[in-house]
Order: sequence, then C-alpha cells, then structure tokens
Amino acid sequence: MPRAGLDAQECEEEAVGVIMCASVKYSIRGPALIPRMKTKHRAYYITLFSIVLLGLIATGMFQFWPHSIESSGDWSVEKRSVRDVPVVRLPADSPVPERGDLSCRMHTCFDVYRCGFNPRNKIKVYIYPLKKYVGEAGVPVSSTISREYNELLTAISDSDYYTDDITRACLFVPSIDLLNQNSLRVKETAQALAQLSRWDRGTNHLLFNMLPGGPPDYNTALDVPRDRALLAGGGFSTWTYRQGYDVSIPVYSPLSAEVDLPEKGPGPRRYFLLSSQVALHPEYREDLAALQARHGEAVLVLDKCSNLSEGVPAARRRCHKQQAFEYPQVLQEATFCMVLRGARLGQAVLSDVLRAGCVPVIIADSYVLPFSEVLDWKRASVVVPEEKMLDVYSILQSIPRRQIEEMQRQARWFWEAYFQSIEAIALATLQIISDRVYPYAAISYEDWNDPPAVKWGSVSNPLFLPLIPPQSQGFTAIVLTYDRVESLFRVITEVSKVPSLSKLLVVWNNQNKNPPEDSLWPKIRVPLKVVRTAENKLSNRFFPYDEIETEAVLAIDDDIIMLTSDELQFGYEVWREFPDRLVGYPGRLHLWDHEMNKWKYESEWTNEVSMVLTGAAFYHKYFNYLYTYKMPGDIKNWVDAHMNCEDIAMNFLVANVTGKAVIKVTPRKKFKCPECTAIDGLSLDQTHMVERSECINKFASVFGTMPLKVVEHRADPVLYKDDFPEKLKSFPNIGSL
Amino acid sequence: MQSWRRKSLWLALSASWLLILLRVFPVLRLAEPARRQAGGPQGWPRWLDAELLQSFSQPGELLEYGPQAPRGGRCYREACFDASRCRGGSLKVFVYSAVGPISETPRKVLTSIEGSRYHTASAAEACLLVLVLSPDTPAGECHPALPQWDGGKNHLVLSLHPTPCLRIFQLGQAMVAEASPTVDTFRPGFDVALPLLPEAHPLRGGALGQLQQHSPLPGVALIAVAEERGGWRLARTNFSACPWDGRCEQDHGPKQTHPRATLPNATFCLIPGHSPDALHFLQALQAGCIPVLLSPRWELPFSEVIDWTKAAIVADERLPLQVLAALQEMPLTRVLALRQQAQFLWDAYFSSIEKVIHTTLEIIQDRISGASAHPSLLWNSPPGALLALSTFSTSPSDFPFYHLQQGSRPLGRFSALIWVGAPGQPPLKLIQAVAGAQHCAQILVLWSSKKPPPPRWPETAVPLTVLDGHRKASDRFLPHSAIDTDAILSLDAHSSLSTSEVDFAFTVWQSFPERMVGFLTWSHFWDEAQGGWGYTGERTNEFSMVLTSAAFYHRYYHTLFTHSLPKALRTLADESPPCVDVLMNFLVAAVTKLPPIKVPYGPWHQEARPPPLAPGGPRFRAEPQPAAQDCLNQMAAGFGHMPLVSSRLRLDPVLFKDPVSVLRKKYRSLEKP
Repeated sequence: MPRAGLDAQECEEEAVGVIMCASVKYSIRGPALIPRMKTKHRAYYITLFSIVLLGLIATGMFQFWPHSIESSGDWSVEKRSVRDVPVVRLPADSPVPERGDLSCRMHTCFDVYRCGFNPRNKIKVYIYPLKKYVGEAGVPVSSTISREYNELLTAISDSDYYTDDITRACLFVPSIDLLNQNSLRVKETAQALAQLSRWDRGTNHLLFNMLPGGPPDYNTALDVPRDRALLAGGGFSTWTYRQGYDVSIPVYSPLSAEVDLPEKGPGPRRYFLLSSQVALHPEYREDLAALQARHGEAVLVLDKCSNLSEGVPAARRRCHKQQAFEYPQVLQEATFCMVLRGARLGQAVLSDVLRAGCVPVIIADSYVLPFSEVLDWKRASVVVPEEKMLDVYSILQSIPRRQIEEMQRQARWFWEAYFQSIEAIALATLQIISDRVYPYAAISYEDWNDPPAVKWGSVSNPLFLPLIPPQSQGFTAIVLTYDRVESLFRVITEVSKVPSLSKLLVVWNNQNKNPPEDSLWPKIRVPLKVVRTAENKLSNRFFPYDEIETEAVLAIDDDIIMLTSDELQFGYEVWREFPDRLVGYPGRLHLWDHEMNKWKYESEWTNEVSMVLTGAAFYHKYFNYLYTYKMPGDIKNWVDAHMNCEDIAMNFLVANVTGKAVIKVTPRKKFKCPECTAIDGLSLDQTHMVERSECINKFASVFGTMPLKVVEHRADPVLYKDDFPEKLKSFPNIGSL
Repeated sequence: MQSWRRKSLWLALSASWLLILLRVFPVLRLAEPARRQAGGPQGWPRWLDAELLQSFSQPGELLEYGPQAPRGGRCYREACFDASRCRGGSLKVFVYSAVGPISETPRKVLTSIEGSRYHTASAAEACLLVLVLSPDTPAGECHPALPQWDGGKNHLVLSLHPTPCLRIFQLGQAMVAEASPTVDTFRPGFDVALPLLPEAHPLRGGALGQLQQHSPLPGVALIAVAEERGGWRLARTNFSACPWDGRCEQDHGPKQTHPRATLPNATFCLIPGHSPDALHFLQALQAGCIPVLLSPRWELPFSEVIDWTKAAIVADERLPLQVLAALQEMPLTRVLALRQQAQFLWDAYFSSIEKVIHTTLEIIQDRISGASAHPSLLWNSPPGALLALSTFSTSPSDFPFYHLQQGSRPLGRFSALIWVGAPGQPPLKLIQAVAGAQHCAQILVLWSSKKPPPPRWPETAVPLTVLDGHRKASDRFLPHSAIDTDAILSLDAHSSLSTSEVDFAFTVWQSFPERMVGFLTWSHFWDEAQGGWGYTGERTNEFSMVLTSAAFYHRYYHTLFTHSLPKALRTLADESPPCVDVLMNFLVAAVTKLPPIKVPYGPWHQEARPPPLAPGGPRFRAEPQPAAQDCLNQMAAGFGHMPLVSSRLRLDPVLFKDPVSVLRKKYRSLEKP
C-alpha cells in the first residue's frame, strides 16, 4: 500500500483517493489496537477484508452519487452518450411562442442590460444543456442533435464567448437542433423552446438554422414560431430578413470536411462558366441549355449522372451528356460558377464554389447573401437578376481580367475564413452580434474583408486626411539634456528666435543634479517648461507630455547650435505641408551590405536619404504616443538599455505606420560647432557605425520587414540658390553647410 | 471475554466506519466545486458517440427544387427597377421641371441634376426619371399628372426636406430618396437615404470642413451633447449617469449653450437618435466632431455605400455609462481615424447640394453597373467616389490615391506627351532630351497644328507615335488610349528640358503620384483692389500652380479632366489657352487638397526659349492679361471655392549645389548645363 503514509491533509486533496486513504489508515491502526488476538487472526483478516471491500464499494457509489442527485447540473462533466440525455415530456397544451416580430431591431427586441459592462467588449454566451424532448405520446420532437449542431455548440463552448454561468450570459443558445426544418416537428419544437428556463419571449436567444421551410412552399426563414429570438438563418430573402437583427449565415457544405481540395491559384481556366447544380427548376434548365448552345465550349452545364458505377456517391459525380466529372474538383476548372436558387435560396453549392476559387454568379433574386452585414460580396461574386439570366455571359465578359483574378482570390479567402467549418460559421455569427452590442469596439470592414496578403502589404496611414495645419498654431521645441547647461542655453536662445515657436520644453534627464535656478535661464518670449524625469532614459524625449499643446514637435539635441532661425522656421513650414512625416535636418541612409548579407548604416554624403536624425527634426505629436505606447516588440526597452538608436527606432516606427519617406530639409550638414568636420554625428568612430548598423538589423527583424523608404530629394525654399535678390527671399539665411 | 472482545472489535469497526462516512461526505461535497474551478468553466460535453451522429441534412435534401419564389410585395432593386432601360449600362437621368414657383432648395436640386454628367433632356432616352418634391407644395397638389409615370417604375421621388407629400403620394414602384428616412419604411438597396440639410445649404463648392488639425486640441471638451432646441451643450464627463436625458439636468456642471448655427467644439458629439437630430449629425461631421448616435430611428445617409462604422459610433442609449466609459477609454489611434473620416465624408459627399445629388445618382449608377461599380475602398477613402471614376477602372491600384492601402506602387515608366501647337515646328531637341531619360517608355506627339506633320521623325530609343489633335486647347488632356503608363510627362513643343531634369522629376513624382510635379510655377493671390483672385508668373517665395507645358502627373487626371469637369469650364479653357493650365491645377488641387510640387529648372533654358505664349510665363514680366485673370475667377466660381493651395518649398536632389565634388552627385547636370 504505497499511499499508507499520506496524512489526512494530503488525502483530502484528491476526492477519489479519499476513501482509500481513510480505510488504509484504519487498517494500520487495527493491529495496534488488538495485539492479543493471535487466535482470532482469521476473523480479523476477514473483517479487515470486508472493510476494504465495503470501502471500495462506497468509493464506487460516491463517484456516481452526485450526478444522480443533481442530474441537470453536472451530469455533463463526464463522457457520456447522446442517447442518455434526460428526456423531457412536453404536455400538449404547453405554450407556443408568438410567430416572430418582423419589426424587431437590436434597440427594440434585444435586452442589452444583460450584456452589462464587459471590459473585453465580447458578449457572453450560455448554452442550455442537451435534453431530449418528446411529445405527449412519447414521440421525439426532433432528432436529438446532429453532428453539425454538436460541432457548432462545441465551437461556441471552446471560444472566448462561452460562459457556463446562466446569470452572466447575454446571449442564450438552445441545444435544440434547428439546423434543418425537415427533421423537426414545428409546433412541438416551438413548445420546447418556450419552456427554456430563460426564454422570456425569446429575448436574447439565438437560433441557428440552415435549411428553412419545407415543401410545398419553402419559406425562406425557419417556420418554428420564435417570438423575439434572433435567427441565424441560411437562405433569408429580403422579405424575411430583419436587417441589423437576424444574421444571414451560409449553408454548410459537408463536402468541406469530406473532400481534400488544395488551393488553385487565380487565372483563366478551362471553362468560362459552369453550372454544377443538379436539382434545378426546369425553366432554369432551359435557360442553361440555351446558354450552352449559344456559347459552346466556354460554358459547361452539368447534371446528375444517369448510370453511376457502384460505390461512387451521387453527390461526388456530375455528368455532361455521357462524360462524367468529379465533383467538387470540376469547379476548379471554371472561372465563374453559377449558384442558382433551388427550393431554397441558400445553397450549399456556394460553399463548394468559393472553395474552388471559382467566382460565384448568384442568380437568386432577393437572396440575402451570407454575412452580408459585414462581407462585401461585390469583391467576390457577381449577382445577376433572374430576369437577365440569358445575358449572363456578356455581363461576365465585360469584367476585366485583373478584377476576375481579384475575385477568385477573394472567393477562396471568404471560404477559408467564414465557410470552411461549422466553427468558422458559428464564430463569425457571434462576432457580428457582439459587434452590434459593443459597436465602439467592432472590428472593421478591412478586418472582415481583406485577405491576409492584402492586410500584410497595406498601410493605413493614421494621419490620412490631407490637410495643412494653420501656421498660427506653431510648434513646441523639446530639448533633451543631461548636464551640458552652457550648450543648452545657447540652443534655447537660438531656437527662441524662430517666429513660430510657441513653447519650449526642456527634458532634464539628470537625476543626480538639479536644473539651474530659474533666474539663470535665458529670458525668452515664449513659455519655457522644465520636465524632470525619474530615470535617465532616451525614450523620455519621445514621451507625449501634456505640456505639448501643439501638433508639431521639434526634437532638438542640446548641442545643435548651428541651425539658423530661418532654417528652423522653414523646417516648420515644410512640416505643415507634410504633417504625417518626419521632417528633419541631418539625413542618413540604410544600405544592404551584400558581403555581410545584412543592413548597414551610412552617414556619408550620399545622393539618397532614408532617415532623418531626431537630433533636429519636426514631427507630429501623435508619434510620441506611438513611440511610448505602441512600439513593436522590445525595441523601446532595448533602446533604453543600450542608450542608443532612439532616432533610428523613431524612423522605423513612422515609416512603418505611414508607409512614407522622410523629408530632409535644407542642405545643412554641420550642426554642432563651426570647427567640427563636415559630417556630424555623435561620433564618427568605427564602433559607433557598427552599433548603428546593429540597430537597423535588430529593428528590421522586430518589424519583420524593412519599412524605411529611400528618396533622392530634399526640401529647399522655392528660390534657394536662385539668381534672385537675397533680400526678397523668405528664407535668405539657409546655411550652405 | 471473547464476546467482549468481539463486541469491542465490532464497536471499533462500526465506529471507524461511521468516521469514514462522516469524513468522506464533506470531502466529496467540497471537492466538487474545487475541481470545477481548477478546470475552468465546464463546456459543452464531448459526446462519446459524437462520431456516430447523423449529419443535419441528407445529401438529397440539399438538392431539392421547389416552386419559383413569389414575386411582388415589397420592392427591391431587381423587381421594381428595370435596369435594361439604361442602354450600355450607363445611367441617363431626366428630371421633371418644376410647375409654378418653387423655393430655393428644390431649385438648387434641379440645377444640380441638370449639371450632372448623367443628365439628359429627353424623357424617352432616360432610364431614371426624377421627381423633385418641394416642401411647400400644398398637400392637395402632391400628385402632378406625369405622362411617363407608369406606376412609378424607374422613377425616383426625391425630397431634401420632410414633406407631407411623401406620406400621401401613391409611390407605386418608385424609389424614394428622402432625408433621414425611418428604418422601418426604408427599403435597403432600393431607396436612398439622404442627409437632412440645413435650409441655406450652398449649391456647390460648399461650406468647408472645420477640421484644422488631425488630433483634438488639448483641453477641448470630450463630449458635446445635441440639444433638443438646436445648438450644443458641452458636457462634463464625470457625471454619474444620464448625460443626455433631461432628468438630471441640474448636475451637469459647466454648461454652454450655443446658438443654433454654431458648430460644436468637442471630440465627440452625442446625438440622441430622434429624427430632428439628423441636422445635428451633419453639423458634427462638418466640425470634425465624431458623431455618437444613440439608437437612431433613421437610416444614416447613403448607408448603402458609406461605411459609417469608420466615422461615427452608433451606440445603444440604454447603456449610457458603458458608452461614456468606451468614449473616455477609446485609444487615440481610433479617435484620430474617426475624426478624419468624419471630416472626409463631409467634404466628399455632404458639403453642398450638388455633392448630395451627385452622390445619389452615383449610387444608382453603381447599382446598374454591377461588377464595375465602385469598390468600397473608393467610396470610403479620400478623395471619395465622386472623384474616383469607376469608368476609369475598378481596381484601386490603377488610381493615384490608393497605393498605400493596396501595398502597390505606380508603374515605373512614363509616357511623354508633347503638344505641338500653331507654329508646327517638330521639337527635335526636346524629343532627344526626353527619349534619353532612364524611365521613358514612349513619346507621343499630339499634332495640333494646321500644318501637316513631317513625314520623318528622328530615330529615338523609345517608340514615337504621332497623334492627331483637334486644335482645341483642352484636347491635350483627352484620355488617349495610347497612354499606357501611369505617369504622363506633359510637354509643349517649345518646352526646354534636359534629360537629367526629367530623370530627377520622375523619381520625385514616384513619391507623390497623386500630385503634379512641375518645373515652372505660377502663384495665385487675393487681389484686394480688384476684389477678386489674381495670379502671377513672377518668381515668388511660394507657388500654387505648375505649368502643364512641363509637368509629370498621373494619367487618371486626363480621364477626370474630360469626364468630370462641367462643360462650361472646359469651353472656357478652350477659348483662352492659359486657362487650360489653371483648370488642370484647379482640378488636381480640388482632388488632393494639396499643393503641386516644384523641382529645379535650369535658368539657362529660359534664355533659349522663345517668349512663352502663356501670360505669366517665366519671362513674362508684365501683368497677366485681363482675360486670363478673369479665367481664374470664373474657375473659382465654377468650383464654388478656391481649391488652390500654396507651397513654399522646392524638392532638390539631396546634394544639390552642395560644395562637394561634382563626381559625387547623381544629378550633376542640374546645376550646370
């Protein structure tokens, strides 16, 4: 008995092991109690054995006891069979919900109070436990649950939306399977819905249905009376769809899981137009035949096969005359594929067609396309009115080839993201409803519609509106300093001469020394504020201080004394014309070193520029916010730790979010002192250059790309170096170096 | 003794047994919830027989066919609008002229429709017939006798202001374009939702947006609340509840009520969703204040094409605190995006009656076009669908505006388009200079002289094609099909350029494909004495136009010039040739809202040049002729405002005129011939 040594505390920790421990403990104590019972050994052992046996039986009993007393609560914990779910008998006169209110909108029929405040802005979904409902006579109202509905509930339960706390839920999903109206009894199912514990006229209940209606009239929405419940339905028409309330979902194609169909790239294919549906109205058949007669080889119309060989399921074969084709593989042979209405508007073939990268041609008037609330179907399909079915060929011919390829790619992406599995369908539905409840946190059109390749390649400039800020606003100069007070005062004096300066901010980065007394600072015409920092970090210069009241920020080092007032004022004017860029004076370049196979930093006099140093540069205050709070990876800490390259990091950041190049202003190359060499920089030595190159390589790997853009221009005043009287020029004092 | 021992044994046994039971029960009870917490919430069970479950549908079921769907009932696009009447897929609009005196706004609407490129004067030719309702029509005279009415088929009943007529009218199958329609009566995809415009909305050009900077000014109020009687109230954000319903009026703290006309100065504009508030909605857009609509009962304007989630927040009025918290915590990035988008939408679609009407027609044209309609990106990012013609292309990367969003670049070649005017001298030197440029793809000579073109042209490295012009000044901006590059270098026969200048200017254009990049500039100014606009070709410290006698721009501007400008303006340009330059600059500036770009131009060209024809050319020192001066004012009137923007910079090569060895410089011949 290896567990004999366990003490009571430990034993209690494991529920199942408890009885074993307890009984063993007793058995140890036993011999000590009755040492003189040598002659009674046999009886003693029999007793001991029976106790252990009893203990075991008790253990077994306890294991099942809780479930049998709380059958509705925790029975789901263990692996069980669907056949064993509790049976609920519905009395014949139990209430039936109202038919359904066509005027329902989120703000009238949906109870948002249940969704309360949720910091993550995601709705919470509760799933009712599975039960088997039978009518008065004991006949089941429907098959208990289908494979797909089980997958759907599993997907919800595995997602972030799920909660098992009914009191916290904002949306309720019944486990009554409504996916196919044909496999349920309408009235009794409605009664089953009405007796759900939180039904309350169906408020905040979400029902999933893919095949609505039934013969003879095939309604386009589920016929089960459902009062205010939201319906996620496949096959809505504009008449039954409650815009902004219901959700239109795809009809899942079981072939998605059964067949392996690798992606086929876009481009022209063997057939221009293909129809693969077998159960079509005779009128459509006639039209299709006419299309084929008119356009010959380019159009392929398939139908059922009359003489199927053994063992091939009918769903996987299509025939044209005597020629047999494999389905859905044949869809990959066509550029456009027809999706005609059948008995229902929603057709599972749509999913197969999208998957094949074939552009669906939807001919089903009034059909509300799946997830049309968020998906832009214009990008992936062509909708043709039924009336114009005979003209479909010429309509499709007029679409440019590039657009067709785009649509093929988009079709495949829609399938991958929203059609491919029951899980994808369920999660997209919940996302849509969640976004309606928390609109301020909703995901965007681009998130829904752009394929990953486009998302990766595209840039959405945060300052996209073309506008030139008024000159009157001016700029705030920020000087980062440690202890070079004399040089700092010179910079302050120089900068204060710039007409558009509106405020000067000194960031005092030295914790060991106090800034000079107020009386010692230069007297300037604009407010001067000193900010003391808690730590000597380079990123302090890019903090979005509340003191910055202008959009334009001039970052300037405390040793940049050579810039003239004209140069600075001109730089501000240039920034106004390019408010979304870094506009700076010292220009630098990055180069690809073919020998070392990595990036290299270059500060020579080159014909190109890809960075400007923030030792003297104008930029939008928003980039301070980005640098401080949104810098990718560990770059910010890395820069602070290495005390270098904050300027390169800023160049990367701005180029990455705007997709634009920097602007270098004026020819100036010398910034610090007249006697220095022409090329300035923190230092010119080799180690410095190596470090800077390291930074570029480090940042490029964190960003996953090289965002810097190389340009061959710089900005000068209109009349710079023109043969024109200097005194008439706006910015005469633009230094040559 | 034995019996006692046995008894004691049994006693001990039963006692310990009791002990076990007593111990185990509470342990089991406790263990149950503890285990649940450890494993997180219990989810949907993993059924043992999940694999054996039946699919929701049998293969045959997916393949049923049934009756044709019922037709009739509610109107939707295909059922009630006969698009086949629009021959060639292009919209033709006829508008019923007003009977009797009409008020200001409907007259502006009529003018706008008549000025549209879709307008036709013949009702028989039209596929859309528009009936404009006037708000002051007496209820009895709502239904004028219209010969072409035909149950309202292919009709659009348009009303910019609520009118009793719309309620009385037998609309039949007519589409309704109504200001702020209620969501209950609005038929998506069939009706058009219009904005509710203020009474004195300008006809064209329009009230400019108020946004002066991208980010909100520090210290500006977070929220302004629309008041029932019009006007705005600035709200404090630390109130405990009900910021917008009147019940807690007393604890609002500082409050400011503006008169009706002023625009709110806040980051967010809270607008209760009742119909009269629709007016507030537009005010907020104009002010660049992000509209926060509380469960609006009306359809947002042009909701069919405009993605309002990018510019406004539609929140639930039942969750005031959550909305407030969300606004306060909204990341700066999103605030910036919403603000700019709201302003962009105002400028693109709402700032004038003309824009509202043209947008309405464009939406209907898009419905007819089907696959060749504007993609959503063109509607929802600057410059907007009215300025990005879908007849040019439906692929965003063909336009100069969307390269960033598409992750694409303009094609790396250009076509030189040389316009040869009256003197009819083949510009041989110019052709050689341009043909030598690194990225020149072809040279097109637009021969507009009376003299026949010479039979032989010089041998060039690139193909040279002679096109026949029609001697109209605006011909040079026709979208010739021979132009197959994104960039055009527009030249006159008398222009003088060096290869190096062309090379450099083209690399600059590739960074700014939506702007004009030119060598010679003019600038405009407000002439107090004349009370009008003037312009000069003298060298100044700023400029706002570049001459198209030597400029790079995107070929899309040819299409836009020819197909979107009002005919009157193009005629004006034909009559006075310098006006063509002005007009092209106006057009590009109106689209981009940015100045053109100037690149260096060698002073030695000017000596070699004959005196330019255009007044205000570089050598033209005299005052520009009155006629040309006038054209600037006529253009400004035609556009409704002055779109030109001034720039104070020139883009030079990085080492331009720097004191370093000339050998280091890539564009060294820019400095000396």
